[in-house]
Amino acid sequence: MASTVELASAFIEGAPPGELADVVADVQALTSEGEDIIPSLLPAFKRYNETQLATVKLPGSSQEVIVSGFNALEGNRYFDPESQTSFEVDHTTQTASAAQSYALESEHADLIKSLLKSFGVHAREHYPNCSYGVYPIEDDSAIAIVLVANRYSPNNFWNGRFRAIYQLPVSSSSSTLTGNIHVDVHYYEDGNVALNTTKPINISVPSVSAESIVSRIAAAERDYQEALNRAFVQTSEGVFKGLRRQLPITRQKVEWEKVGGYRLGQDISGGKGR
Amino acid sequence: MADAQFDSALDLLRRLNPRDTKTNLQAITSIVPELTEDLLSSVDQPLEIRRCPQSNRDYLLCDYNRDGDSYRSPWSNEFDPPLEDGTVPSERVRKLEIAANESFDVYRELYYEGGVGSVYFWDLDDGFAGVILLKKGVTPGSQSSGEWDSIHVFEATDRARMSHYKLTSTVILHLSNKTEALGDMDLSGNMTRQVEVDLPVESDASHVANVGRLVEDMELKMRNLLQEVYFGKAKDVVGELRSLGPLSDANRDRETQREMIMSMQK
Repeated sequence: MASTVELASAFIEGAPPGELADVVADVQALTSEGEDIIPSLLPAFKRYNETQLATVKLPGSSQEVIVSGFNALEGNRYFDPESQTSFEVDHTTQTASAAQSYALESEHADLIKSLLKSFGVHAREHYPNCSYGVYPIEDDSAIAIVLVANRYSPNNFWNGRFRAIYQLPVSSSSSTLTGNIHVDVHYYEDGNVALNTTKPINISVPSVSAESIVSRIAAAERDYQEALNRAFVQTSEGVFKGLRRQLPITRQKVEWEKVGGYRLGQDISGGKGR
Repeated sequence: MADAQFDSALDLLRRLNPRDTKTNLQAITSIVPELTEDLLSSVDQPLEIRRCPQSNRDYLLCDYNRDGDSYRSPWSNEFDPPLEDGTVPSERVRKLEIAANESFDVYRELYYEGGVGSVYFWDLDDGFAGVILLKKGVTPGSQSSGEWDSIHVFEATDRARMSHYKLTSTVILHLSNKTEALGDMDLSGNMTRQVEVDLPVESDASHVANVGRLVEDMELKMRNLLQEVYFGKAKDVVGELRSLGPLSDANRDRETQREMIMSMQK
C-alpha cells in the first residue's frame, strides 16, 4: 500500500492552477503529521513547480520569472537569461532569493536573445498575463521556449492556466519544433468541473531564425485555440445533446399523473413509437 | 478534529481532478480510515451497472440499495448475491417504489432515449426517502465519448394533506474528445444543487408525481447550468488566458471608445 507521503505527494502534484496553497492546507489537516509533513513533500513541490512552470518574483523586482526543468542549475537554483540573473527557489513557498548575476554561456546566445525579443512581442500580443523564457538545453544543441499564462479568480470560483513548451534542435539550418500546449481550467462553485487539454506540436521550421520560429509558433497557437473553440461548440451540439435531451421529442414535459398507468412505447412518447 | 478532517477531505475532492475522484477518495480513506463511511455516503461517483438475474434487466448500484456486499434489484426486490434478511422497504413504500420505477422508466426513455435508470425508496419515521438514478453513456466516434450520471436523493416528510420534500441533486458529466487538430480534450466534473418545497398530497400516487416534477425541473435547470459552465464558462476562461486577436488592437479599440464617450460627455 502506498505511504502517506506518496499519497500526499500525488495530491500536491494534482493541485489545479492557483490552488496549491489550498491543497497543501487540506493535506496538512488530513495527515496526522500536520505541517511536519511538508519537508518530506519537497520533491513533489519541486516536480509540481517545474511541470506547471511556476513563476517567482525576482528579489527586489516585480518581474515574474519561470521555474522549469530547462533553466535548472545545481541545487534549487534557476537562471533567467533575459534579466541575466540566477536565483534560489523555495519550492514550498514559491519564492526566490539569493539572486546573482548570471552570464549565459551558449554558442547560440545571439539566437536566444533575438528569440526572447520576438517571442516577447508575440506573448504580449496574445497573453494578458504571462511569463516566458528561452533556454539552451541538451548540451547547447537545442533550445527550449516556454510560456505560462495564469488567470486566477478564486472569488468567482475559477482559475486557469495555459502552458506552451517547445523544443528545437539548432544544430542544422532547418529544424523541427516539437512540444505540447496544455490548457487547464478549474471551476468549482457548488461543484468541481475541470478542462484539461494536451495538444502535441510538431512543426518544421524552414530556417532557424527568431522571426521564422516565432511566426510558426504564433500560427500553431492560433490554430489550436480555434480548434479548441470549435470543439466546445461541437461537443455541446454533439455528445452533450446525445446524452440527455433538453425536452422530449414532443416538446412537452412529462404528464406525471398519467405516466404511471402507461407502459413504454404507448402514446406517451408522442407517436415516436418503438 | 474529525469534522475538520471531513471538511478538508471534501474540499480536497472539490479541487483535485474530478476525473480521478475514485482514486483520490481511496487515497484519502487510506490516510484517514475513520472517514471512509462518511465520505462514501456523501461523495457521488459514477454509477455502476449490474444485470438483475430474475428480470434480466440492468439496474444501477449505489449506497442506498446496498446491504453488506449485496445489491437489491428494483425490478425483483431481491438481493444479489442473495441475502436471507436483507433490508427491504415496507409493503407500502415498495408499492410506491414500483410505481416510481415505472414512471421514471418512461421519463428516462423520453429524455435520455436509452441509458439505465433505477429508483430506490426506504422508510423514514415520519415519511419516506428515495434516490432516483439515471445513467447514459455515448461514444459517437472512437475518439469522443460522454457519460452522464444523475443522482437525486430526496426526503418526503408527512404534513397535514401536504408533504415537505427536500431534494439534493448531483450530475456527474464526463466528456472527452480527441482529433489531430485538437489533441486531447477532457471536460469532466460534477455539480450539485438543492431544493426544498411543500406540495399537496391527496394519495400515495401524488408522491410519485410530485417527486417526478421536482426531478424533471431540477434536471432541466442542471442541464442548462452544465451547458453554461462546460461550454460557456470554460471557453471564456480560455479566452481570458489567451486572446485570439492581438491585444494591442483590443486596447486601441478600448481607447478609441473611451475617447468617444469622453467627447460625447463634453
